[in-house]
Amino acid sequence: MGRVVRWGLGLLLVVGLLLAGLVLLPLGEWLPGGTVADVPTAQVVNGTAFNRLFPPAGPGEQLVFTQEKRGFSEARLKQGDATLALLAISDTATAPEAREKFSASGERIQGWPVVEQGPQASALLVAERFQVKVIGQGAGLDLSQRRELLDAFDLKGLAALQAPALPRRQAARGPALQPVPQPALRSAAEAA
Amino acid sequence: MSATVLERLERLPRRNLTVLALRGISTVVPGDWRNITSADDLIREVMGSDDPALIAQVRARADVLSRARHEGYGRALSLYEAVNRSQQAAGGLRLLANVGGAVPLLRRMADLTPASDTLQAADLGLKVAAELLAFTQVNGLPGDSFGDFAAALAEYGSEARVRMAALVCFDALLPLGDQALERLDALLGQVGQADLRQLPGYAGMASLIPGRGEVAHLDFIRRGVDTWLGWAGGFVGGLGLTGQKAVRALETTLGPWQGRFDQLATFLDVFTDTYRHTGTQAVARRLVERAAAEI
Repeated sequence: MGRVVRWGLGLLLVVGLLLAGLVLLPLGEWLPGGTVADVPTAQVVNGTAFNRLFPPAGPGEQLVFTQEKRGFSEARLKQGDATLALLAISDTATAPEAREKFSASGERIQGWPVVEQGPQASALLVAERFQVKVIGQGAGLDLSQRRELLDAFDLKGLAALQAPALPRRQAARGPALQPVPQPALRSAAEAA
Repeated sequence: MSATVLERLERLPRRNLTVLALRGISTVVPGDWRNITSADDLIREVMGSDDPALIAQVRARADVLSRARHEGYGRALSLYEAVNRSQQAAGGLRLLANVGGAVPLLRRMADLTPASDTLQAADLGLKVAAELLAFTQVNGLPGDSFGDFAAALAEYGSEARVRMAALVCFDALLPLGDQALERLDALLGQVGQADLRQLPGYAGMASLIPGRGEVAHLDFIRRGVDTWLGWAGGFVGGLGLTGQKAVRALETTLGPWQGRFDQLATFLDVFTDTYRHTGTQAVARRLVERAAAEI
């Protein structure tokens, strides 16, 4: 093989690799593993939308936002230097398994199911999509304080958020998007 | 596949020079510092629960989050890695300059190493810029206004107090003297493109710094440092930090030190990696707080 051919082949190989690399470079975004649970970011509500739905801080307390990512927003409720609780709203589009725990729940706040996770965490599922959570920190909060905080979120605003449709395999599972009537009201209606 | 954040947390040393240096410096800031190297302990602390099933759920979620490239947790850690390499290389250069000055044959080499203060200022600038970049990678831009974002940064600063104290003491007060923060602006003004290129960490970070080219990057670093100086000035003033105080704090764990302050700084640069150590812990905590809220 002539030297020219060898060099030519080598050059061709290098140029080919370079071109292929350049062509594939913008595709890196779509390679698997880029987003959480491989759910496209367009299907997840941006955390910015959640910020205004957090409860206002009580007297002597402060609400400090600590994280805001796609599908997630978190704030700390502080009193002086001590952190009382972590407050968070997340879109369960990337974590469908998080919705399952609510199917066993009997208790409701403003019609939405609520569950306890361990001694310090209370979770609420709004519109079968958004999880609201309060996790007591340090000395902790008791159950009623956590429930009060959950109730203080703007749950109506959260339920009314324009959420992009879930991927089909997830949507097939969640039929009802309306709040279930509150048990208290129902029993009152039955009594009457 | 590279290690997840929690795996890296568990690989951190439990007892070595880095941990001793951090324990020493933690005596100058209020509150106690624990060297958290167990993911389960961290999750337990955040969730306030001992339930192994719950802990496993949080952990699984944290691993999913840290594997997603878009989420930036891996990127934040590679920033810390890059800066750490830079620190050790810069420390090595200064060590060489110190030794080189005494050995005739090596003196030429010592002449080649850049002015130690300028290099140290560039190294600190790189660290502060990396800190800001890593913060936005991990936490996004929290809140709806600039005030919210500033509050989020301040909150992070007080949460990572020991990390900040280590940064201020080891990278500013000890090598540059007690007037370090006042001098920093002028020193950074002397840092040229060539100096920046000389820092090995810069090569690892360059693609993550906004702007194209070294001039734009230097500008970003200077502006980042300006932002940080406002906060750091209050931090140093509030705690009354000085080089002397830092040395005394370090002596409680590392033993007596007879040499100069900048020699101690060089020693710490070469033999410890406090920046990466506390950085991994800070990222892990924020990750676990998110995972706990999402399960």
